[in-house]
Amino acid sequence: MAGSGNAHLRSDALLRAQDLVVEFPAAGGRKVYAVSGVSLDLMEGETLGLVGESGCGKSTTGRAILQLPSPTSGSVQVAGQELTELDPDAMREVRPRLQMIYQDPISSLNPRRRVRDIIAEPLFIALENVTRRTAMATWQERIGGLLQTLLERLAIPMRIVGLAASVAFALWILSEAVEERAAEPWLGWTEVPAAIIGFPALAIALAVAAVGLVLGLTWVLLALMLPFSLMSRQFGEVSAPVGIAGVVVTTGASGFMLWRTWSSFGGWAKWVNSGGLGLLTAVLVVWLAASIANPERAGASGVATTLSAMVVLQVFYVAGLDAGVKLIVLVVSIVVDTLLLRWVLRRYRANRNAARERAEPRVREVLEYVGINPDDAMDRRPWEFSGGQAQRLSIARALVSVPQVIICDEPVSSLDVSVQAQILNLLEDLKNLMGLTLVFIAHDLAVVKNVSDRVAVMYLGKLCEVSEPDAMFDEPAHPYTEMLLAAIPQPDPEAELGSGRIDGELPSPMDPPSGCRFRTRCPHAAQRCADEEPEMREIAPGRFVACHTPLIGETAPERVEIASAGRGAS
Amino acid sequence: MTDTSMTGFAGADEQPLLDVADLRTTFHTAVGPLVAVDGVDWSLRPGARLGVVGESGSGKSVMSRSIMRLLPKSRVTSTGSVLFDGIDMMSLGRRELLDMWGPQLAMVFQDPLGSLNPVMKIGKQVGEGLRVHRDLSARAARAAALDLLEEVGIPEPHRRIDEYPHQLSGGMRQRIVIAIALACSPRLLIADEPTTALDVTVQAQILDLLETQRAERDMSLVLITHDLGVVAGRTDEVIVMYAGRIVERAPTATLFGNMRMPYTEALFRSIPKVTDDSHARLEIIGGQPPRMTDLPTGCKFAPRCKYAQELCVAEEPALIEAPAAADSNDGGARRRGTWRDDDLDDDDNDGGAPAGAHLYRCFYPVGTPEAAEAFERNVASGRVSEAGVVIRAS
Repeated sequence: MAGSGNAHLRSDALLRAQDLVVEFPAAGGRKVYAVSGVSLDLMEGETLGLVGESGCGKSTTGRAILQLPSPTSGSVQVAGQELTELDPDAMREVRPRLQMIYQDPISSLNPRRRVRDIIAEPLFIALENVTRRTAMATWQERIGGLLQTLLERLAIPMRIVGLAASVAFALWILSEAVEERAAEPWLGWTEVPAAIIGFPALAIALAVAAVGLVLGLTWVLLALMLPFSLMSRQFGEVSAPVGIAGVVVTTGASGFMLWRTWSSFGGWAKWVNSGGLGLLTAVLVVWLAASIANPERAGASGVATTLSAMVVLQVFYVAGLDAGVKLIVLVVSIVVDTLLLRWVLRRYRANRNAARERAEPRVREVLEYVGINPDDAMDRRPWEFSGGQAQRLSIARALVSVPQVIICDEPVSSLDVSVQAQILNLLEDLKNLMGLTLVFIAHDLAVVKNVSDRVAVMYLGKLCEVSEPDAMFDEPAHPYTEMLLAAIPQPDPEAELGSGRIDGELPSPMDPPSGCRFRTRCPHAAQRCADEEPEMREIAPGRFVACHTPLIGETAPERVEIASAGRGAS
Repeated sequence: MTDTSMTGFAGADEQPLLDVADLRTTFHTAVGPLVAVDGVDWSLRPGARLGVVGESGSGKSVMSRSIMRLLPKSRVTSTGSVLFDGIDMMSLGRRELLDMWGPQLAMVFQDPLGSLNPVMKIGKQVGEGLRVHRDLSARAARAAALDLLEEVGIPEPHRRIDEYPHQLSGGMRQRIVIAIALACSPRLLIADEPTTALDVTVQAQILDLLETQRAERDMSLVLITHDLGVVAGRTDEVIVMYAGRIVERAPTATLFGNMRMPYTEALFRSIPKVTDDSHARLEIIGGQPPRMTDLPTGCKFAPRCKYAQELCVAEEPALIEAPAAADSNDGGARRRGTWRDDDLDDDDNDGGAPAGAHLYRCFYPVGTPEAAEAFERNVASGRVSEAGVVIRAS
């Protein structure tokens, strides 16, 4: 078992994952072979059960289908569209069609948000993508869209740079710069209004910034970026000495560059006063513009952070003024800043409320589908719900964007039996109602049998058996399937216990066995199993097995070693 | 199933190892008293296996912690009596309890990673109890720990003994927790959801391990779980708990062969079974478990029960004993893994009459004509659907 091959794939499937390989780097330059050549397909409206022990790679397979992360190699096609080659933007457009339900409902729902916002979130993201696509009609709008994208992209780096810069400059240079400035004030009358409104216009900032300063800043940015880019980019795949050497070299180089920048301006205080201040302000202005352009993304707290950073900067602007003027400037600017903040927040809230209102009917609809009363639930938070109800909320969140495929990753494993039954029935109802296509990942075969139209058994990153559930459970073809079946506890005191037949543990996925990966625990393992990897083949109509000695057919070994414990009906 | 004919119910002639009488544990919460365990009575014969089944919040874990005296002192009170081999656990002080934990009673918890010390080597954790209770030297404790690791089926114990818990898989960690619990050869082992966090295959291994160790050491075992499948083949007697009360108690074969409490029946029917066809509709228990601070007045299960009548809502039924004649064990006659109402009608007594009483808490026990009538009435009044799911609470 546990082999490769694509014999079980069908044509015209809605989802087709072929030869998926997922490998993770591990310590000491080794690799974790999490998924090694798994092929799956799903017809529209079908439920595929994916079973195996923990660590067999079933969750990784589910995530690889959703490109979370993208598989190391292999292809994933949904309705003919290849997902592995999509760029992040195009992938984001596909995401509303592919959803996921996680094992632990409580931790997969943000405890600080209300149910209505959690459920509506996929809608906002989907809508945003739709509006952006349609907004590209004219060239003006195209430029507007580009600018917006640029500003959005800049939002997070700008925030980091802005915060780091304000803290560093405030703590380290504040006294020095203010002192020098007080001794030699050069703030002209043109700069007073700029100081009053809290941030000078971009043009003033650019005018103040000399060519040399721009150059200097480039040096600084380069110096800051280099070690980061080296560290973040596949540091895991470089061996330790090389990595450390790289960090030492780049840190040294950036230290040297910083020192050159410092000396070319004769000290940081001079740099600040000769235009660095303007540039810093410019950075904050751009960022503030970005947050106002898209308040949902920046968030109210982000806007507030920028404004407070600007207040810190004002200290520099007013340092050289007379005491009386200084007071007026400060008071006026605090008033202006507060008004500005209020305006931004109001705009932010108005946008949010409008979006909420647009989404509300749809949110109500899905909540009703999953059996939760919208009037009671909409304004509560996830932790106020029991596990079963929270799992219903997760299902509602997955349903809201009308997905084509939902990947359910152990959705009932952490629930009580009675609640588990409710969720399983709910999934079945929704499937009939909406024609959902599901991948159902679980380790409990009874649960998988209940929901699935087709079952795939996984072992250590490979597929063992793919078949219809009823046939598979009556007569497992793979020794591993049989072992899993024997392990199920039967609610029947007279059922024979599978005692003593379930031996061993999953081998390490860093060092998988040669040939068939199950051979180390397989009662029928022979020399051939170690030498040759079994390919997936059809041994009976609709029954695909990757095993040299399948348990059904002429060549079947006697079914003695693993007794059919627990399979009462067979 | 080595000794199915014996049961966990202590006979009159035998001194029970553990006798729990009228145990009541109350949490004093901000919204008022929460009675998590409400008047629980049971006893356990030496060497017997008891299963405790219930949903989350049914009080099964609080009950086990009350017996072990593991609950915090502040804002929690336990009353009633817990006699362990004649010793009143409730009257023991901290020092005396420390002498009890380990050599007398031990516990295995659900989350193996949470119950192991992450910064202490496994060997030391396993040997710790031996050093305290048996006054063993470090060397002797290590040798004993090595034996224990081998007994609980840890491969390469010589290497594993010097590893830390995070280096082991979930199943291996649970084996370590079991080794720690077994170290001082306790006379009673309470396993609180020992396999809930584990895979089916590992679950089977751990349950087998508990059973072999119990048989070898002649230890008593209390197996707490929410899964009826886990207790079915591995216990002599089963207690079903709901809202802090025992709602049904019977020898295992009797319970599965002849359920009387509607809650047990509903719990049993909600389990997906491999023997069912795929896409078989699961029978669910409608509604939610009751809020423990705001319990209904009558039978606590009545709002979710398909048989419930006015009487059930008004008055709480007592725990009564089933008449022996109706309590036939017809397990051999019925199909494995399935349970049908008509099984109750054929009164063949060939199954070996079990010792131990069958207690339940219901006015309309499952399988009686009264229950069938009650169900009919509920369907007619629209309270319950044809499939037996409560549509509106009474």
